[in-house]
Amino acid sequence: METLKKYLLLSAAALTFASCSSDDNSPAANNLTLEFNNTFKDKTIVLGDATSASATTNTSAAGQIHHFSEVKYVISNIRLIKDDGSEVPYNVNDLDKGATVIDQAKTASLSYVLSNVPSATYKQIKFGLGIKTEQNTLDQTRFPKFYAAAGANDTQMMWEWGTGYRFTKVEGFYDADSKVMSIHTGSTIAGTEGAYTQGVNAYRDVTLSLTTNAVVGNKASKIKIKADFDKLLSGKINTITLSTGTGMGDNATPNVHTAAQMVKFVDNLGGNGTNDISGMFSVTSVEN
Amino acid sequence: MSRLKLKDGSILKFIKMKKIFGFIIIVIIFASCSSSDSDEAYFDNPELSLHIPTDFPEVNSYVSLNKPTKYGAELGEKLFSDKRFSADNTISCSSCHIQGNAFADHNARAIGIEGRVGLRNAPPLQNLMFLKFFNWDGSRLQLETQPLVPIITHEEMDSSILDVIGKIKDDASYKDLFKKAFGDQEITPDRIYKSIAQFEYTLISANSKYDKVKRKEGQSFTESEAAGYATFQQKCASCHSTELFTDQSFRNIGFPLNTDSNEAGRGRVTGIPSDFMSFRVPSLRNVEYTTPYGSFGQFPTLKSVLDYFDNGVLEAENLDPIFKNNGNRIPLTEQEKENLLAFMKTLSDKDFTGN
Repeated sequence: METLKKYLLLSAAALTFASCSSDDNSPAANNLTLEFNNTFKDKTIVLGDATSASATTNTSAAGQIHHFSEVKYVISNIRLIKDDGSEVPYNVNDLDKGATVIDQAKTASLSYVLSNVPSATYKQIKFGLGIKTEQNTLDQTRFPKFYAAAGANDTQMMWEWGTGYRFTKVEGFYDADSKVMSIHTGSTIAGTEGAYTQGVNAYRDVTLSLTTNAVVGNKASKIKIKADFDKLLSGKINTITLSTGTGMGDNATPNVHTAAQMVKFVDNLGGNGTNDISGMFSVTSVEN
Repeated sequence: MSRLKLKDGSILKFIKMKKIFGFIIIVIIFASCSSSDSDEAYFDNPELSLHIPTDFPEVNSYVSLNKPTKYGAELGEKLFSDKRFSADNTISCSSCHIQGNAFADHNARAIGIEGRVGLRNAPPLQNLMFLKFFNWDGSRLQLETQPLVPIITHEEMDSSILDVIGKIKDDASYKDLFKKAFGDQEITPDRIYKSIAQFEYTLISANSKYDKVKRKEGQSFTESEAAGYATFQQKCASCHSTELFTDQSFRNIGFPLNTDSNEAGRGRVTGIPSDFMSFRVPSLRNVEYTTPYGSFGQFPTLKSVLDYFDNGVLEAENLDPIFKNNGNRIPLTEQEKENLLAFMKTLSDKDFTGN
């Protein structure tokens, strides 16, 4: 009798374990695609080199005309908010499964498919622009896929000297004489976790309300997200005038723009976390 | 672990109904999954008893998490000179950190694989145990986090830690050393970083003529050295203070600027305006061996540095107050310069550099 009880107990435990493996009975229905549209206001960005005639141009609030040759950014820490307010995290502790580099030059990268999303009605999405400090260590052993993707020669989303990832990388040209602009952001924070003593945290948590609820479980849904790079220079937080040079206030090339200048771009793109929690992002539509 | 904890909650419901020994069986099953991590206590790898020189500053608190051991430091030294750390197996840590140059080199800016030129002058590696910040901009606070930087940087080794491990993992001498240092032969990134740091912690330089004079070991300064020491105390020691000959502060002292767009000094780390183009005050120990000078090797000789101070430095909004309040210069007579050079040479540690 005792033996029987033991077996029963063990098989019950085994069942409990089995239940935590993913329920992939109808994979497509539980897919949720995040489709990113990188724009200047309402125009989708076309990239181009310095003399490109086809590149989409934009004029900043300060009157500076500019266009881009490269637009990349990292999305991680994705959470979906159900209509009852509860939060469903999506592989938030695994950069290999829950983070991606959006690259305007690679169409496939613009659609990030979340799989096995629990069937429910969702009203909001949260995600990080960049990577949380505790995961931002270039740990190739822990997250080999993301490390390889970010470090690829045509991606270059690593910030070697800071042993972290680049969170955004925007290359382009500004003013009539097409001066180079090169905006890189990333965290420089250092110290013991929870007691950081120097540097800036460039990770931004973004919260977006959906235009209509996303219903996951019937068929594959899609959330269309606009990333309006007009905000880079003409943001809700900062109006930025680009300048080229080696002075403290010069900001058109990375690092010479200093961490202080960098934070202005970061706040424009991802919000400042207090009175702006969406930055350049907004949801334009939801397809169910 | 978090996965196990989650399961505990559901298991508890069963326990309420069932016998305790059923639970014990489950515990045994779980325990068998976790790796045995208690082996490391039972092997013979003594901690090194490093001689801490008198009056040196406090040891960096991270050292206590990675105290140098006999085999850890030995392994670190071997890794330090292994060229397989670079993508094309041409350079090792010791290619730019040469003992005879107090573990710096003679290039203005560090040179990596394929002749690629880095942003800054390779810093000497000495007395690192006592430093609170590493690199000219102080970007690293814990030495163990530094070795990865040159490994992955395009202008340095341009590799990755798993590529490095792939190249050395079948090397019998490494298997042996990793076992001796860490208890088993597994090669992990963390063990590589730790052992290199352990080796670097052992690089203590405190046996120069200056030290021997100070310790009254039968040596004395020449007249010129003594006069130089007096000038040093009057005109240099406010920054080059403590027995490390640096107060470890970051200052903009109006040196010619590195126009590489990647350079903003400590400003790129902290974002604090006063840190713009500020660099860590360099130690003067073994300064004789670390030419050229400046964050990107602007000055070929120590004399040219002293001349520059005397002639006046570049104006900057955040120029260090010591310069700002003194007409942007440190006035020095030719005699004072000569004496200062003589004094600085008493900081050369021939035991340390093997010169």
